[in-house]
Amino acid sequence: MIRKINLLLEPLKYLKIQQNFEARLISTTVNLFNESTAERPATSVANIKSKNTLNKAMKSYLERAQQHDEFMKTEKHQFEIGKRHLANMMGENPETFTQDDIDNAIEYLFPSGLYDKRARPLMKPPEEVFPQRKAAEFDETGRPYHFLFYTGRPNLYQVLHDTVEKINELNNFEDTMIRKNLQPDPNLALELSGSQWLDKNTLEQKLVEPVSDGEYSNFLKAMDRLCSLPYSHKAKDFIMEYRKPLMSNSEAFDVIKPQIGPDGRQFVTTYECRRKRAIGNVTIRFPGTGKISINGQDINYFKGIQQREQLLFPLIFTNMQRKVDIEAEVQDGGESGQAGAIRYGIAWGLRSFIDQEYIENMRLAGLLTPDFRIRERKKPGQKGARKKFTWKKR
Amino acid sequence: MLKIKNILTLTEKCAPTIRLLSSAVPQPSESTTQIETAQIPSDLQQEVLKHPDYFQVHNLFTVKDLFDARIHYGHKEGSLDPKMLPYIYGSRLGHTIFDLDKTAEYLRRALNVAAHIAYRDGVILFLLRGAQNSHLVERYAKECGEFAHTRFWRGGIFTNSEKQFGAVTRLPDLCIFVNTLNTVLTQHTAVRDAAKMGIATIGIVDSNCNPNLLTYLVPGNDDSPVAVEMYCKLFKEAILRGKAKRKEHLEI
Repeated sequence: MIRKINLLLEPLKYLKIQQNFEARLISTTVNLFNESTAERPATSVANIKSKNTLNKAMKSYLERAQQHDEFMKTEKHQFEIGKRHLANMMGENPETFTQDDIDNAIEYLFPSGLYDKRARPLMKPPEEVFPQRKAAEFDETGRPYHFLFYTGRPNLYQVLHDTVEKINELNNFEDTMIRKNLQPDPNLALELSGSQWLDKNTLEQKLVEPVSDGEYSNFLKAMDRLCSLPYSHKAKDFIMEYRKPLMSNSEAFDVIKPQIGPDGRQFVTTYECRRKRAIGNVTIRFPGTGKISINGQDINYFKGIQQREQLLFPLIFTNMQRKVDIEAEVQDGGESGQAGAIRYGIAWGLRSFIDQEYIENMRLAGLLTPDFRIRERKKPGQKGARKKFTWKKR
Repeated sequence: MLKIKNILTLTEKCAPTIRLLSSAVPQPSESTTQIETAQIPSDLQQEVLKHPDYFQVHNLFTVKDLFDARIHYGHKEGSLDPKMLPYIYGSRLGHTIFDLDKTAEYLRRALNVAAHIAYRDGVILFLLRGAQNSHLVERYAKECGEFAHTRFWRGGIFTNSEKQFGAVTRLPDLCIFVNTLNTVLTQHTAVRDAAKMGIATIGIVDSNCNPNLLTYLVPGNDDSPVAVEMYCKLFKEAILRGKAKRKEHLEI
């Protein structure tokens, strides 16, 4: 599509620069025509007229497009030079220097302690750095391409228009099904858990348009209404275009591959499981009978019921109580800290032996999220970490 | 007027794909340099203008059709704008009733104007406020290859277009107001703005509307979906007739 439009515009883009040159060219061709028999099609003559009738809007667009092109060209050139310098500094071949190498070099040469990644120095190709801009939205007579152009937000309102179109379609479909005495199939119902609507910024990027809060809430309302229809699964493709999957840690971290122990059983060891001050290593052996050993003792290592429950929770949650053996070594911290550390180790290691679905459930239950909180130190001059001494003015 | 060969089809233009300003250096190509001027001969244009009803818009509807589409229903007597009195037939059960003979005359005139503007490659913008009929109007505007604005009217789209669109922009040549009211009490800002910018307007005016700023008014019910659909259908048909004639004349 973009290419097509470019092809369409190319001859026009250089009109401005080549005006003088072209005028001369045209005059010469006209002379030629006068001399020779006018056999060739009068394209050059047409060009004169087209230049005169070119719409003001198109003219100014072409100027902008040309400026943009020139700007991007210089930026690209500078990027290439910078890349070569960087490669030479790092003592590598500039020809084979990739974007990954650039990132590593920048990280090495300009170490930054800033927490936010966006605040750190970067060097990226200009196409990624400068925001994308819309192409001309009208043809050379100034007539816009999009039927909602005058709303100023054609892409956003197109989405809303399409949503209403779908809603009407589905309502009609529902009517026909009711007339046939048919009910929607519950198995086909649209499954929306595990994904969420695009947030405002992502939507803005997708539509290349600013979206105000009110417009965004209108968008959500329209989409929710579409989803609430009994046959909404028929518009699944359209709906899913504006949803993104929920971030899941289980996908972000690969499952550890089990090793084979000397006794022929699979085992997985999770090192450095932490909770409060406690730290431990947990080994899970599969298949097993549900044996648990903690620092050489069985589950009676923990005196309290709550700690034992903590420990067993991931096993019960995934129905693996009698199917695996657990060996844990844990030190430091108190009882609940140690139990929590082992719980995390068990849940993390269990992923190797259970289905994806169970892993997702464990993630949703919060079993795969490490708890980094530790006690905050007491401050001098106050009673606790945050609490102050009682103080009365008079 | 220009016509470019290999121009993208209308459906492609309206496709929801988002086009971006290219950063690639354009390469000159052979096939796209064929620009030809397509101008309707001026004598033909004069002939079209002289004819009282060149596009035969009078046969698009009958008064009976208007009646069936409930176009004669006005608002309650109390909300009557005195400027609408000439177009009122009478009142029944406290509601004003439009004189459909007059409405038909005005509507034909408006359709004729729309067809002429479409014939001359004008940009036509359908306007309406209110969620109930919004999608309907947008659909018809799209079908006849013209434009619609049925959403919140951000001030200055006409009067400050350069700022609003970020560049010089061609404004519509004709605005068709399917209703002229924002809410029951306030007029659509675009009526005023179009008058300021000298853009011709066609407006469906109900008995509670003020027709003063409109170029071509059509007295009639502007609320019922049936009536709105009727107007949209008629204007679409008139515009398509104008465009078809244009195409025909360009090929001569």
